[in-house]
Amino acid sequence: MSLLKKALIAAALAASSALPATAQQVTLDVLYCFPSFARFHEPVAAAFVKKHPNIKIQFRAPAPTYDDGHQTMLRSALTRQLPDVFYSGFHLLPELVRTLDKRSQIVPLDAMLAAEGAEFRKANYPQSLMSLATFDKKTFGIAFNASNPIVYFNADLVRKAGGDPANFPKTFDGIIKLAQKINDPANGINGMAYDVHGWPDSWLFEAAISQSGGRLLTVDGNDVAFDGPSGLNALKTFRRFVTEGGMQLIDWEQSRQQFGAGKIGIIFTTPAHLTQVTGLVGNKFDFKTSTFPLDDTTNGVIPTGGNAVVMLTQDAAKQKAAWEFIKYVTGPEAQKVVVEMTGYLPTNLKASGPDFLGPFYEKNPNYKTPILQINRAGPWGAYPGGNTVRIWRAQRDIIGQVMRGEKTPEQGLAEIVKTTRDMMKGS
Amino acid sequence: MTIASASAPFPPAAKRQGFRLSGEALGTLFAVPALLLITALILAPLVCLLALSLTDYEIGAVSIRWLGLGNFEKALSDPVFRRSIGNTLLYVALVLPGGVFLGLLVAVLVHGRKRSRGFYEVAYFLPVTSTLIAMAAVWQFLLHPKLGPINSALKSLGFAERAFISEPELLIPTLAAIGLWNLIGFNMVLFLAGLAAIPRDLYDAAEIDGAGGPVNRFLTVTWPQLAPTTMFVAVTTSITSFKVFDTVAVLTRGRDGSEVLLYAIYLEGFQYFKMGYSAALTVIFLVFMLVFSVFQAFQLDRRVHY
Repeated sequence: MSLLKKALIAAALAASSALPATAQQVTLDVLYCFPSFARFHEPVAAAFVKKHPNIKIQFRAPAPTYDDGHQTMLRSALTRQLPDVFYSGFHLLPELVRTLDKRSQIVPLDAMLAAEGAEFRKANYPQSLMSLATFDKKTFGIAFNASNPIVYFNADLVRKAGGDPANFPKTFDGIIKLAQKINDPANGINGMAYDVHGWPDSWLFEAAISQSGGRLLTVDGNDVAFDGPSGLNALKTFRRFVTEGGMQLIDWEQSRQQFGAGKIGIIFTTPAHLTQVTGLVGNKFDFKTSTFPLDDTTNGVIPTGGNAVVMLTQDAAKQKAAWEFIKYVTGPEAQKVVVEMTGYLPTNLKASGPDFLGPFYEKNPNYKTPILQINRAGPWGAYPGGNTVRIWRAQRDIIGQVMRGEKTPEQGLAEIVKTTRDMMKGS
Repeated sequence: MTIASASAPFPPAAKRQGFRLSGEALGTLFAVPALLLITALILAPLVCLLALSLTDYEIGAVSIRWLGLGNFEKALSDPVFRRSIGNTLLYVALVLPGGVFLGLLVAVLVHGRKRSRGFYEVAYFLPVTSTLIAMAAVWQFLLHPKLGPINSALKSLGFAERAFISEPELLIPTLAAIGLWNLIGFNMVLFLAGLAAIPRDLYDAAEIDGAGGPVNRFLTVTWPQLAPTTMFVAVTTSITSFKVFDTVAVLTRGRDGSEVLLYAIYLEGFQYFKMGYSAALTVIFLVFMLVFSVFQAFQLDRRVHY
């Protein structure tokens, strides 16, 4: 080691020990899913650290998907190497809480919420989202990203087909009829795409069931609840998308590319892709969004996707720091950053106000659609027994067969129900 | 006395015998480090795998139950797993002959070039150096039914439009075509090395014996001389194609019609957390590979003239 290097290190050591802050310096170990989400996690954390110089945020390598993150958590629970803070996918949160609560490795946030004062909770967090992270009357997480499926449409194609973009249909039947008019195979244009047959999770399937007031699972969560008209209607509608709506069964990423190229009239997808698709579309056509159709406007709900931030650290000082962090990331400032970058729904009530996202929504009305349906936000069901992913993969294959016409909706439903029940028993 | 004094400078023969190891023992001693490594890196994990495959171990679970052969019974009666065996065999059946014969064809053609040989070698080898994962994104676009150039070409030739990575019956052939694209360059290089090792005078001798044309020369000299290379290429190609995973993971995510062995193992172990079951599937996979490789080696060995 050169003399200069030694001198530099000595100087650095002296300087760091001279800082008083290092005495209470807390480092939070944070894990989130989807590496591409670094684009908002990093700036939000940087802004937080600026406000709280004594807290350091150290991100672990992000998990590729919610499922991978979930698996990492279950593994680290055993080896006692859990991060201090984790962002869990809503659909996996019940299982995560169930597993970790048994081992006392997850922290309920009720006491900390109460300590903020009576008004805090009501003024910041919508009840529909809070209930998604509440189990046994205990709050285990706070929604960070939330989204519900919305409709993207090509207003130019809608107009050409004789539709009115300002009065976009609000039922599946209306949308299928419009798509039928848009469908133009001679020019390589498909009417619509509802890519439930290849979707990575059960979101779009559940949406089609719950929008008509049906449920994925019974209230106690122990049996399927779509074994009836709600499930059958969903499957019949899926088949109609193909036979009448001009849907082609391709991969959902391909649908998005094709929509961006102006070759699909209507697609159903997550608002999280809004920024990306807006960029993809550019000035090629008039791109608009609409709320998810509801056949039952009183009881119909749409499943909420996204993730909630949970606290796992058992250390008192770290818990205090983690609470500050959670409060910040779910606060209006951080939510503004996240929403503008993605199109997610703000999970903080103050965030959509005039001080934060108000002007943004004024300028980008497409981003406002998910907020219009926030009061219809329902839970995103997870099956008991930890077989959620496997069950969805089996259901998805059968749904694809129904959509291709290899099975009737009745056969398909019977098969889905039977397979789901078998797998729920944990075989 | 004289004998004793003469032998004094040397240690007694009996004592020296104690230090000298027999050839066999010495050989064993030299093999020990390698043996230890094999045990630690291959045999011990294999034993763990076999043990795990007989349990219901799950990541995160607190207790383990002994299942005996339950996992294997379940696997062989699971329609998804049976489909994944069938799909993998179909994939191998497409890629193995294609990879060997197209690789050989390209190698023979490239070998005959003089000045442009370097160019063709690089051109065919490029797919090998590209990461298949990144290229999968390109394939996804190329094969897009509405936007991709492949379907435009098909349509201009009067064929119907096909969704190559969506229609279940087209998934495995499409993945096999991508696998071939990725593999041919590598096999070509192996064959080129084999071709370079064929002595020229064999061709001269063949010519004198009346085997003149390129086809005759190929059948009488090149093909028999390439037999060891062909065997090697066939074994590596079959192993590579049995292990098909990356294109499935990226392009189809194991959708209906594209289930393959490794993806099934990955799903069970890393998505469903059923480590015990996943280990059982891995054992089945290993048995497949072993049987296939051994059969191939013996079958081809008999016909190879070294």
